[in-house]
Order: sequence, then structure tokens, then C-alpha cells
Amino acid sequence: MSDKKNVLKIKNLVKSFGDVKALDNINLEINEGEWVAIMGPSGSGKTTLINILSLMDDISEGEFTLAGDDASSLSEEEKVVFRREKIGLIFQQFHLIPYLSAVENVMLAQYYHSVTDEEEAKKVLTKVGLGHRLEHLPSQLSGGEQQRVCIARALINEPEVLLADEPTGNLDEENEKIVLSIFKDLHKEGKTIILITHNPELGKHADKVLMLKHGKVDKG
Amino acid sequence: MVANKMFFNMIFKNIFVRMNKTLIILLSIVVGAAIISSFSSIYFDISVKMSKELRAYGANFFIGKHDINSKDNIYISDYKKALSYIDKEKLVGASPLIYGMVRLDLGNAVLGGIDFKQAKKINPFWQIEGSWINVAFDKNNCMIGKTLAKNMELKVGSKVTVKSLKTNFNKKLTVKGIIDSGQAEDNQIFVNFDFAGEILDTKDTFNFAMLSVMYDGDSINTLAKQINKNVPDLKAKPIRKVSSSEGKILNKIKGLMAIIALMILVITTLCVSTTLISSVAERSREIGLQKAIGAKNSDITKQFLVENAIVTTIGIIIGLIVGYFLAQLMGKAVFGSSIEMRIQVIPITFIISFCASMIAALLPIKKVLQILPANVLRGE
Ligand SMILES: Nc1ncnc2c1ncn2[C@@H]1O[C@H](COP(=O)(O)OP(=O)(O)O)[C@@H](O)[C@H]1O
Ligand SMILES: [Mg+2]
Repeated sequence: MSDKKNVLKIKNLVKSFGDVKALDNINLEINEGEWVAIMGPSGSGKTTLINILSLMDDISEGEFTLAGDDASSLSEEEKVVFRREKIGLIFQQFHLIPYLSAVENVMLAQYYHSVTDEEEAKKVLTKVGLGHRLEHLPSQLSGGEQQRVCIARALINEPEVLLADEPTGNLDEENEKIVLSIFKDLHKEGKTIILITHNPELGKHADKVLMLKHGKVDKG
Repeated sequence: MVANKMFFNMIFKNIFVRMNKTLIILLSIVVGAAIISSFSSIYFDISVKMSKELRAYGANFFIGKHDINSKDNIYISDYKKALSYIDKEKLVGASPLIYGMVRLDLGNAVLGGIDFKQAKKINPFWQIEGSWINVAFDKNNCMIGKTLAKNMELKVGSKVTVKSLKTNFNKKLTVKGIIDSGQAEDNQIFVNFDFAGEILDTKDTFNFAMLSVMYDGDSINTLAKQINKNVPDLKAKPIRKVSSSEGKILNKIKGLMAIIALMILVITTLCVSTTLISSVAERSREIGLQKAIGAKNSDITKQFLVENAIVTTIGIIIGLIVGYFLAQLMGKAVFGSSIEMRIQVIPITFIISFCASMIAALLPIKKVLQILPANVLRGE
């Protein structure tokens, strides 16, 4: 594993909101193809960490390097470009555009990335088991189906890293299984996966687990 | 091309999904553009229309003797020469007048000779019972002032004997019309100018002339100077009260219209701006998501501006049509005539309304730029 390329590295990271330290002295190194689970109770700083890893938020102290580059040296625009080129984001609340169909929601990510390709978008949706729901609006889809649209959108630009914030938090057991099997497949394909979860079952599949508690690594 | 399809897909869906807000913005812009286009139509037309309107209050230019009391004659040939200095386009009406005493059946009265066709143009506010004398060679009819008609017990169609005090003229004339001017004319009897010359034996001379011209302020003074210099036997002067107040009223109305238009423009801008701000608030999650999945600030700003530009353009087109009818309505109500739609009204309305709408978008766009995906997507 040590011969694998380093994807990201954080060292002594601190993130404060006012006097609240949401993350305190975090160290993490993720290599290409790894599956990392970030676990911990609500309010422990998991989402804050994901926001930092996806370049949507800045760090307060410490170091954060992405593929060898210092993240804090990137301009706002470079951050956006980096995110759309390298990162696929999956949210607990799905965050689909309500007036766009499943396939259009996926194509929107293509549009901001480069050019839209409807066939490609349909292919990815079919891969996550939604070949029969292409033209449906989010409101016409179940929670599990919406989450799979969200996953398809995250995958469409073939990112190196997938960042998922409690992707099964709003799903029932059956849909959780479907989503989990998608992640397993992606892991097999060699994608780097960073997954936040409450579920120890999902954590079991990870190569690495980072336990957070009150913003600190919980070694207990 | 394919990318553009997604771009416009987003824009049109946003326009239709938030139909209420779109309609508020559209309506604001329609109102703003309608006011600007109708007011500017009137603004361009108003000088002509207002002059004509004010000219309806009678003569504003006088040509006569240097000394009103002198017995010297002034001649029609000089009057015609004076007229040649007046721009035909700006001459509403002009008539020489000749006055003299005559004897009617029941007593003496002042007889005036006048050019009826011109008098009608100079004094459109005269109320006429019966009708005007319409040909200059008519020597059988007369028109008579309301008060005099009453005193002499005359009605439209009555016969009245006119006897000259100077010559042996003596003829029965038919009263064709009774004049109600509210002024001195109400006590006078009128016949054609040339006919009066025969009755009063004043051939080719006149007492004074009244004119209605569309000159204002300085130009009317210049005109008077020019005539006085070139026709020294005559005295030409503006009847100042009317012509200077005319310019003042005109400027006041123009100023008032500009202020109203400006106020409506400000209201339109505020209305568009607040609606856009609430629209941004409503879609902040969506915008945050777009940023999260790779939209740059410039992508979203572009989408927002094009969306606003489309709604604005539709609003302006409707506003121009509404404005055209509004201008006609106001023209009819205020000036009793239609307003010509000048071509420059279209670009003026377009540019002003478009700028206002884009200025209205500045603050909302600032809000768009401030949206941080991490904050808006966090909501648990
Ligand atoms: N934008 C913010 N401003 C202030 N406090 C914040 C902000 N974001 C997160 N926090 C705080 O940081 C802590 C960690 O939050 P979060 O990362 O959302 O936890 P988790 O995702 O593990 O539930 C919480 O105490 C939360 O209230
Ligand atoms: Mg969270």
C-alpha cells in the first residue's frame, strides 16, 4: 500500500468557528484506491472535515496538501476547478435540482465540468440501477433512487476521489445495501473513497477508519 | 451547442419554476418601460402639441401703428411684407382688422372687418351659434357679437340693415353666426375684411393685425425686431404675457414628467432588485449545490444575468406596446390629439429600462457571490 500514490494529507489540522474548535489536531493520509471511513457521533466534526477535503471550506491551522500541492495556495477559482476535476460529492440530503430530471441533474455536473453528453449520463444512471428512471423528477423518485442519482452525478466526471457525507443516513436498509454494493464496486474499480457514516457495518469495509469525537481523533 | 442547451434549460426552467417572481419582475419592467416610452413620446411631441394648445388661447403677436392714437393710415401691402418674415410652419393664423362705426336698425355699433378663416384659427375658443362666414367675397352675411345681438334683438338668420356713417352704403345683411368670445368682440359686428373696407371707405388700409405664431421666448422677440427693422411703418410686438408663460409651462411640464419618470424608474429598480434578492434567497441551496459540483461564480453570474436579461427584454417589448397606447390615451386626454411614436423612443426606452434592470441585479448578484456551498448544504 505504501507504494500507492498519495492523494491527500492533513497534518495537525485545526478548524475553528469562533472559539469552537470543530476539528482539533487531526492527522490523516489517504492514498490512491483507499476506502476511508470517517465515523463518530453527531457534532464530532465529520461534515466539517469533508467540507475541508472538498475545498469548500478553509482550514484554520495546520497543513493540507492535495496531490502534493498546498491547498491554501489555491485561488477560489482553482479550488472550484480542482473540485470538479478530481472530486465527486455525495450528500446525505441528496441535493438534487428539483426541476431537473434525473438525467438532467447528472448532465448539469457534466455541463460545469466540460460538455454535456446525454448518452454518458444515461449509462452512469443505468449503472446505479436507474435505467428506468431517467426522465423522472427528484420528487417522483424514492429516497434511495434520489441518492443513486446523486451518486451518478458524483461519478459522471470520473473523479479520482469520492467524498460521501452519510450517504445512507436517510435510507432504509434495503436501499442502504444497494448503495453499499455500489461503493464496493467502485472500490474494486480502484476509486478512492472517503465515506462518513454512522453505520459500523459500512465502516467494516474500509481500509482505514478515522474515529472523531468532539473534533479530536478518538483512539479509544 | 450542447452546453448551451443545458445553460438555457436551466434559465428557462428557473424562469418558469419561479413564475410568481418572474411575473412581478416582468410587470415592474412593463410599467417602467411603458412610462418611459409614453413619457418620452409625449416629451418629443409636447413642444409642438403644447404650442398649438396654448395658441388656442388667442393671438400672441401684434402688428399695428407706432402710435395707436395717430390718424395716419397703415397699409395692407406693408402687412403682407411683414408676414413674409414669419416661418409658414410656425404661423397658426393671422388676420388684419379694420374698425369703424356704422348704424344698425336699433342704434350705432362698431363694425369690424376680418379674415374669418384666419380668425377661426387664431380664436378656436370662440363659441359660435350658427356658422362662420367661410368665403372672403361674401357680401350678404355678417357675424355679430353675442351682447350686441341681444341688444339689437337679432338671431341667427335675422336681417339687419347696415348704414355707413361716411358713405351712402346701406344694405340688409343676414346674421350668419353669433360670436361668444367673452371679450370685446361680443359688442361688435363683423363682415369680411374687404367688404368692411368698402363700407367704411378705408380701402387697402387696416388698424392692426392679430397673429398666432408658434415662436417662443427669444425667437419671438427676434421676429419682432426683424419686422420692425424691415417694415419701419409698422410696429410689431409679441403680446408678451401669453408667449413667455407658454415656455415656462412647457418646461415645467417637461420637468414634472422627467421627475415622475425618474421616480417610477427608481421604484421599478427597487422592485426588481428586492424580487431578485428574495429569489436568490429561495434558491441559495441550489446555487450552493451548483458551486459544489463545479460551477464558478462567473458561471452562475452569467446564468443569473441572462435570465434577468430575457425577462427584462420581454418586459420592455410589452412595455413599449403598452406605452404606445398610454401615450395615445394621455395625448387624447391632455391635448385632444394622438401622439406620434417617434423611432428614437424605442432605443431610449430599451437602454434606460435595460440599465435599470441590470443595476437592480447588482445587489442580488453580490448575494449570489457570497453564497458558500459549505454553509447552505450543511442543513441537517
Ligand atoms: N459554519 C459553522 N459555524 C459555527 N459552528 C459550526 C459551523 N459548522 C459546524 N459548526 C460546529 O462544528 C461542530 C461540528 O459540526 P459538524 O462537522 O457538522 O459535525 P458532524 O457532521 O460530525 O455532525 C458542531 O459543534 C457544529 O455546531
Ligand atoms: Mg454531518
